[in-house]
Amino acid sequence: MTAIFKREFRSYFTGMVGYAVAAVSLFFLGLYFTNRNLLYQSSDFAGVLYTTTLILLFLLPAVSMRSFAEERRARTDQLLLTSPVSIPAIVAGKFLAQLAVFCVPLTAAAVMPLILTAFGKVSLISAYAALLGYILLGGACLAVGTFISCLTENQIVAYLASFVVLLIAYLMNGIKTMFTSGNILAFVVFALVLLAASAAVGVVCKNILAGGAVLVVGAAALFALFILRPAWLLSAFDAVLTALALFAPYAEIIGGSFSLPVILYYLSVIGVFLFFTGQTLERRRWN
Amino acid sequence: MLEVQHLVKRYGSKTAVEDLTFTIQDTGVYGLLGPNGAGKSTTMNIVTGYISATSGTVLVQGQDIVAQAAAAKRCIGYLPEQPPLYPDMTVEEYLRFAAELKGVRPKTARCEAVQTVCDRVGLQGTGRRLIGNLSKGYRQRVGIAAALLGEPKIIILDEPTVGLDPAQVLEVRSLIRELGKNHTVILSSHILSEVQSICDDVLILAHGRLIARGTPHELAQRLTAKGSISATAQGSREDVLRAAAGVAGLQNITVTGQENGEISFTAESAAGADLRGALSQALAAAGCPVLRLSAQTASLEDVFLQLTDAAPAKEEQL
Repeated sequence: MTAIFKREFRSYFTGMVGYAVAAVSLFFLGLYFTNRNLLYQSSDFAGVLYTTTLILLFLLPAVSMRSFAEERRARTDQLLLTSPVSIPAIVAGKFLAQLAVFCVPLTAAAVMPLILTAFGKVSLISAYAALLGYILLGGACLAVGTFISCLTENQIVAYLASFVVLLIAYLMNGIKTMFTSGNILAFVVFALVLLAASAAVGVVCKNILAGGAVLVVGAAALFALFILRPAWLLSAFDAVLTALALFAPYAEIIGGSFSLPVILYYLSVIGVFLFFTGQTLERRRWN
Repeated sequence: MLEVQHLVKRYGSKTAVEDLTFTIQDTGVYGLLGPNGAGKSTTMNIVTGYISATSGTVLVQGQDIVAQAAAAKRCIGYLPEQPPLYPDMTVEEYLRFAAELKGVRPKTARCEAVQTVCDRVGLQGTGRRLIGNLSKGYRQRVGIAAALLGEPKIIILDEPTVGLDPAQVLEVRSLIRELGKNHTVILSSHILSEVQSICDDVLILAHGRLIARGTPHELAQRLTAKGSISATAQGSREDVLRAAAGVAGLQNITVTGQENGEISFTAESAAGADLRGALSQALAAAGCPVLRLSAQTASLEDVFLQLTDAAPAKEEQL
């Protein structure tokens, strides 16, 4: 794993990507820090970080896009997959290298709250909690991007798809308000998801019966819920949409509630998407 | 030792490898020969653990490539058809990375191992060059060097000489022969002369099946065993043919030319015996002086063409 980590990390800085990411990241952090904290004399460093989360949408897909897509295109994945290194170690090495690239410009951000202490009282705890949350949020975005990069051979496709997915996650809080109007809508959306899931099961298992069975059982359960406990359906739908709002928990950290569930949420997102990445790599070998 | 048992690989409805079973003992150069699409690369990819088989097992030094992947992969050095090189790394960086992947520790041992393989494949002085700027021949050498790192028992090379100039081809061949003294080298190729000149044992694949195995000499003999004879004798057509037909075991006598009282013909001996002496005596006894008499030998190329052509027919029969 360390070999892959070192190679990946170095490769970001032998090309342009590492420097470009650092430059853009530092530019916006510096801009908002100077404007908000220094010129307007605010002690709220967490707010600066929160404002720059929008930049992550553009920046992080550029880091994650090449991770597996480029390996597959250049067929260098043959070296990794025929070496005595496990797939989880390959995925972890690549992910940690991306996270490290993301963290390089943040070392400057780590100094910013200290600079503010020279001018007055600053809550260092909330500032560094916000920074840790920022790294976790970035990690979650990178994990999503890594998974998408694993699905394609084309870096540009990986970039655009990751950007769109992160954009939807970013806007999910707003989108969610449109979908809380009724139980029928929740039912329809779940029914569509069920249909897609049973079709996927049918295709993966190459067995129409298996897909049909999933559809019948799922439809019966869904229908029973809709008739007996329609409110459950709505709250479940709401919970799903909330879970998809990747950037929303970060607002809680900025709001001062640096809670364990938020940390666990980001760690789970990272874990789930890296697991999917590993499974996709493994599955490709069997096809 | 490499044991491949009942290997099957299907891509959807297409079968790339069909019930392939073979065992490869220690040391020596083994050739996988077959036309394009015969399943050579697929077999190599399965054996090295890059892809998984639909069914069947691969044991590398007794370890299963799926169940004991890390231990099995440690015994194998692999050069795929397209060397898996990172163009943004220097030769030295790349080889150190490959050595670390293969678990060569500590750092000093890695540096030594890289130096040794560089000397072995003729990469001295290129350590600081970017792989992206290297010629095809040098890239191939870097790929071979990476395959040699970690001192694997089995070295698998997929078409190692493709795209090299003739001088480089000779160099790589002599390197492979050298490696074969201490390692098991398995190489795939569709270049017959290459296989004939460097392999101790040849496995011919067609349509995903193993259709023949043996030394290049054995395989060539297998076809000539039928004893194909071509001869030219002086005399009338009737006399010559009667004399030839009188030789016990000689069949399929076909006249190929008739000019100025000279009759040329070909014949085969069914029993596989060399009937040149008997034929010569028979013709002499019939008063037909023998002007030319030779046994036709098949090259590996003939064996290859004959076997790979025959394979689909065999498949249809099944």
